[in-house]
Formats: sequence, structure tokens, C-alpha cells
Amino acid sequence: MRNFFSLSPIFIVAIIFSLPAIFIFLSLAQDFSSNWVHLVDTVLPEYLLNSLKLFIGVSIGVFILGVSTAWIISTCEFRGKKFFSWALILPFAIPPYIMSYAFTGLFDSYGTANDLARFIFQLDPETVLFPSVRNITGAIIVFSFTLYPYVFLISQTSFLNQSRDIFDVSRTLGLSRFKTFFKVALPIARPSIVAALMLVAMEVLSDFGAVEHFAIPTFTSGIFRTWFGLNDLTTAKQLASILFMIFLFLILIEKYSRRKILYTSNSTSNRELVPTPLKGYKEFFAIIICSLPIFIGFFIPFLQLIYWTIFYETSFFSSGFISLITNSLSLAAISSIICLSIATIINYIIRIEKNNFLSFINKIITSGYGIPGIVLALGVLNFFLILDNISNIILTGSLIGLIFAYCVKFYAVTNSSISSGFKKISINLDNVASSLGSPNRRILKSIHLPLLKSSFLIGTLVFMIEVIKELPATLILRPFNFNTLSVSAYNYASDERMIEAAAPSIGIVIACLIPIIILIKLIGKDEIE
Amino acid sequence: MKLNKLILNNIEHSYGNSPILDKLCLELIGGEITCLIGESGAGKTTLLRIIAGLEKQSGGEIILGDRVISDHMSFIDTNKREIGLVVQERALFPHLKVIDNICFGLKGKKGYKIERAEYLMNIFRIINYRDSYPHEISSGEQQRVSLARALAPSPKILLMDEPFSSIDRALKFSLRKDTKEILKDEKITSLIVSHDFNDALEVADKLAIIDKGKIAQIGEPRSVVLNPINNQIKKQFLCETGDMLYWKSKIDEDNNK
Repeated sequence: MRNFFSLSPIFIVAIIFSLPAIFIFLSLAQDFSSNWVHLVDTVLPEYLLNSLKLFIGVSIGVFILGVSTAWIISTCEFRGKKFFSWALILPFAIPPYIMSYAFTGLFDSYGTANDLARFIFQLDPETVLFPSVRNITGAIIVFSFTLYPYVFLISQTSFLNQSRDIFDVSRTLGLSRFKTFFKVALPIARPSIVAALMLVAMEVLSDFGAVEHFAIPTFTSGIFRTWFGLNDLTTAKQLASILFMIFLFLILIEKYSRRKILYTSNSTSNRELVPTPLKGYKEFFAIIICSLPIFIGFFIPFLQLIYWTIFYETSFFSSGFISLITNSLSLAAISSIICLSIATIINYIIRIEKNNFLSFINKIITSGYGIPGIVLALGVLNFFLILDNISNIILTGSLIGLIFAYCVKFYAVTNSSISSGFKKISINLDNVASSLGSPNRRILKSIHLPLLKSSFLIGTLVFMIEVIKELPATLILRPFNFNTLSVSAYNYASDERMIEAAAPSIGIVIACLIPIIILIKLIGKDEIE
Repeated sequence: MKLNKLILNNIEHSYGNSPILDKLCLELIGGEITCLIGESGAGKTTLLRIIAGLEKQSGGEIILGDRVISDHMSFIDTNKREIGLVVQERALFPHLKVIDNICFGLKGKKGYKIERAEYLMNIFRIINYRDSYPHEISSGEQQRVSLARALAPSPKILLMDEPFSSIDRALKFSLRKDTKEILKDEKITSLIVSHDFNDALEVADKLAIIDKGKIAQIGEPRSVVLNPINNQIKKQFLCETGDMLYWKSKIDEDNNK
């Protein structure tokens, strides 16, 4: 073990990154106010019930969309398969709140879809063909079509890792292809699918923009209302700590499932699945099943946003819009540089120290990913208020707080990329360089950093997507009058100025789409797993 | 119990422009164990997959018992052929316990399934691992489970692809002996694909040599090993041991036993 100073960066980061969560939990030690009692008696059961309904509904939705498409892409050969295999990831570029804006714009009584139907069928102006989506069912549809790519990607990997022999043996034992899917493929992939469903559940329960737009009272909207409506920060934090505990429970299930993946994917055979060529009606159905999620989850909302932007001539390239993009991108860039630096230093120390305890500490630092944005924002705010008092410098409401929140929440993204990058570099390279007289710093600079180039790129891209999409923490922690694309879209949408919300929404979609396309290209070149 | 014979008539198959099987003919006599040996790429595994119905041959016919199971007109699907398959990598279902793996292909009441599975587990001496998962047992035990699973539904014939290849030497000997005993007891017509002549000498009633997509020689294993009909086959024995004397002394040793 080196001296304390060489290891201190890990401990310092771990302590600082844990503070927001600690402050949230400390609120439970404070007295519960009359507001708390009022919430428990009136709206808390509704928050819980709605959150549960969303959780169950979205889990079913993403399971059907993600697993069916992953199975078809992994095991079948049909026209357009190559296109579908990457296009099915496109809905990642559309955050649920943007999709909810587009959907209400489409399906409200005087929305695009109803207008179009009235025009085509020459109906009365009062006739409404499409039902309203401003309800739990609408929210479930929106979340399912924007979040299924998690399940799609993870199930696809799981199906592709299953060996051909297992399917062959199952068929020789009398099972049809259909039964083999339910009795063999699906149970083997179950731990992976459960892990993906937990990630989706975390996204759903931490969402603020979509549920707020659909006026569905859930935990996140409750926290927001308690704070800004009742002006009671302590009760808001107490509510946040309950939400955080639910998250910790989901994280535990996710970790447990991942442990099980180790042996269920521990097949002794490595023969890959041979895709079955589809012909006739089977090919037609495969194309329909794969097209549907892309169409509803990406093209329809994207076209609706473009329609608003073009036909209502919103100020798409105004100076305000440019400053929104600049703000979003610069925030994402600054925080990603900070996180990449921290992740590189920490993973480098772990590599040279080979110490399990340090890896454990690093895992604690990455657990910020599991803190819902709104909970994190409250924790950061609390932490910065204390810092203000100690230092006599007003940090609250500055960009530092926002960047800090992004780093806590999305450090896991860069860490995962850098840590897998380091794992790919053989330890023998370090040994040879050492034997040639290179000190550790030179090994880092001349060997590790150049070889980590693609890890830096991937880490930055995924980090930027996450930051650009992030809404609740940005909304709460941004400096006064400082707007990003997500905040601007939210502000317009909350005033029901949907047409003006289109430009920043398109900005978000395009800003997320570019990194996603680069990532897909990298995956195609096998540069990343 | 009816002994099922398998007849392969003029089987042809190719991948793209490369022919794999060239008018291959082979007959497996009911209740006999045949070992098919050939060099890598000779078409052994492809032949096994074609017999199992996992691939369709481009020409020729396959007759199992009295029934044509595949020719240019008809093709019976894998899950309806009642052909058991054991693969080199065992391919146990990782999410199922040993007993559930063995019961997987059985039909009927639960009591019957458990009774049949326990009978096979006793024979294969894996009853102690009844409730273990595949990752919790050794590779030799996994191979026993894989054999028990294939035998459980009493298949008409059993196909084994390199069943003893990824097992250490000590275990290999006992597993070959047990496998032979069980196949003989159950009177199951079997085809073992291998590249190891010891498999043929210790387990099989017949040894068939496949070369360039055809059966080059077939007969009683010892006589084939001692009397290779051409230099190509002789070379295969020499490649494995470096010396024909090895096989002679091995066969003498077995005879003395």
C-alpha cells in the first residue's frame, strides 16, 4: 500500500460525492412537520399508487417491445435487419418529457392527429377521434416507447451470448422454436432482463418532466410541489429520502440479477446462434414488429416537433436558441472533462495498487447514478448552503453546484468506459515498460492514455447525452436566468406553449442523436463492446 | 424393444461452393454403437446436424426405422424426430437444476418424470447432484448429466459429438466404460463423432472413417485400426500417435484384459 497521499484522491472524491445523499438521509432525523402528516394523510398514498402503476405498466411495455425486437434481431435474418438493429436504439435520443410534449401536441382535442383526421374524413370541428393521452396510460406509452432500448440492448446481448448448442439440444428434446424461446432462451436471459427493467424503473420513478406534463402526481412531482408549493424544504427532503430508499432497493435487485447473469451466461459452448432466414408472412411480421417502436418512439415525435418548427416558423436559429445550445453543450463538456479526469486518476490508482478496497470505494462513488435527479438536487443544495455559511462565498445558485450534481450523477458513465478501457490494456505492457525503466507517470502518459483514446470518446459521448437530457437537477440548481435546452423546453411546455417548446426539444434530440450515431458507428467497427 | 436402424443414402451437402458431404452412405444397425472418425473439416459434425434435422442436406435421403425422415420431398422437424443429441460442450441449461435438465425432454406425469430422471441419475452416479446447478458441478459430471438428459426420453437413436473430448484422462476412461454399458443396456442405436481412435476402440462396435465427405472405410474398430485401406487413413493414425506399433500394443493389451 502506498502512502496516504497517493490514495487520498479516491477517498476525497468518495466523501464529497456521498455528501448530497448523506444530507438527504439526515433529513429523516429532523422533526416531521405538520405538512408531512398532511401529505401522509392526503396525497402520499396516491403518489405511491401512481408510481407503482407506472412501474408495472412501463415494465410490461418495455418488456414486450424490448425483448420481442431483441429476439427477432438476434435469431432471424430478414430484409432491413441491419437498419433495424441500430434504428431500434434511436428512441434513446428522445427523453420521455420531449415525447410527452409531442404526444400531447398530436393527440389533444385540437392536436395534429385529430386535425388531420377531421380534415381527411371531413368531420365536425368538435369531433375527437383520438383519445387524450394526458393520463397514466398515456404516460405508460410514452415511457415504454422511449425507454425500451435499455431492455432491447441488454436482452440482445444476452440472446447473442447464448450458445447454438443449447437451442439445438432443446429442439432434439422435442421443443419447437416457439417453446424453446419461452423455456430456454427467456429464462436464461431473465437476470439480464430484470437488471434492464430495474434501470427502466429508476428512470420512470425519477422522471419529472413527463409526469408533470401529464399532471400525474408521483413522488418526484410531489417533492417539487412540497418544496415550491408548501415552501417546506425539510419535508421535500424527507419525501426524497423515501424515494431514494426505493431506489436503493431497486439497485440491490439490479446488482443481485447481475450476479446471477455470471452463471446463467456461463455457457460451456461458444458456438454462436445461426440466424434463421425468414420468408413470406413471417418476414413481414418481423419487419412490422421492429418498425413499430422506431416509428412511435422516434419518427412520430420527431416529425411532430419538426412540423411545429417549420409550419409555425418558430425562431429556430435565433440568438436565444444558439445560447441555449452553447449553455447545454458547454455544461456537458466541462462536467465530462472533470469526470473523465477523476475516472482516469482513480482507475489508474486502482490498477497500480490492485486493491479490492479501493475498487469498492470506487463503486460507492459510482452509486450516484442511482440517485434521482430531484433528490440529488436537494442534497446538493443542502450541501452548498452549508458551504456558503462556512466559506462566506455564495456558491448556491452558481454553475458550480450544477456541474457538481452532473459529476455525482453521471460519474458512473465515464467510470464504466474508462475502467473497461483499462481492463483491455494488458498488464504485461506495464511490466515491460517498467522493466525498460519507465516510471509510473510515464507509463500512464505514453502507454495508457493513448490506448484509452476510444474510451475517452465513448465516455464523453454517453456523458453528454445524459447531461443534455437531464431536467430536474438542472431546473433546480441552475443559476437565475441561466437556461439550457431541457429547461427551456420544460418552461415553454409548462406554460402550454408547445410550439415554442419545439425548437429546444429538437435541439435536445439532435444533440443526443449525433453522439448516438457516432456510438453506433463505433459499435459497427467493433471498437466498443 | 424395437431396435432402430438408421440408413443414410447418398447424402450430399455443401456450404456455398465448398462441398462438405459427397454422396455419403452409411448404415447404423439397430442397437449398435458406431464411431465416426475423421480429420477436422471432414464433415463429421455437419453429418450429425443433418441427421438431427438441424440442417437439411442438399441431396440424398435419411431413413430412421421404417420411415423416411428427410429427402427431397419430405423433412421431419428436429423436435419430432426422437433423436437424442449430446454435444461436446454439453450445453446444459444453466438456469435449470440437474434433475430439471434431465426431465426437460420427458413427457407425462411429474411422478414418472422424476422416477425416470432418478433412475438415470443413479446409473450415471450423479444422484448426489440432483439439486445442483450445472455451474456447481465438474465437467465430467456435466457430461454425465448431458448423456442422461439425452437418454431420458428413450430416443430412437443417440448422436454424440465429441462426447469425451473436453474431459481429463482419468475421468474419460470411466465415462467411456459407463456410456458403453448404458447404451448397451438401453439398446440404443448410437453414432459417436470423434477424432480420437481410443473412443472407437473402447466404446464402439463399428468404426467408420470419413474422408472428403465420404465413408472411406468401415468395420470392426480393431480391424480398421490395424488394416487401414489407404495411406490417408494410415496417416491419421500416425498423426495421433506417431507409431502404428502403439495401436498394435494397445489392442494386444485390451485383448489380454
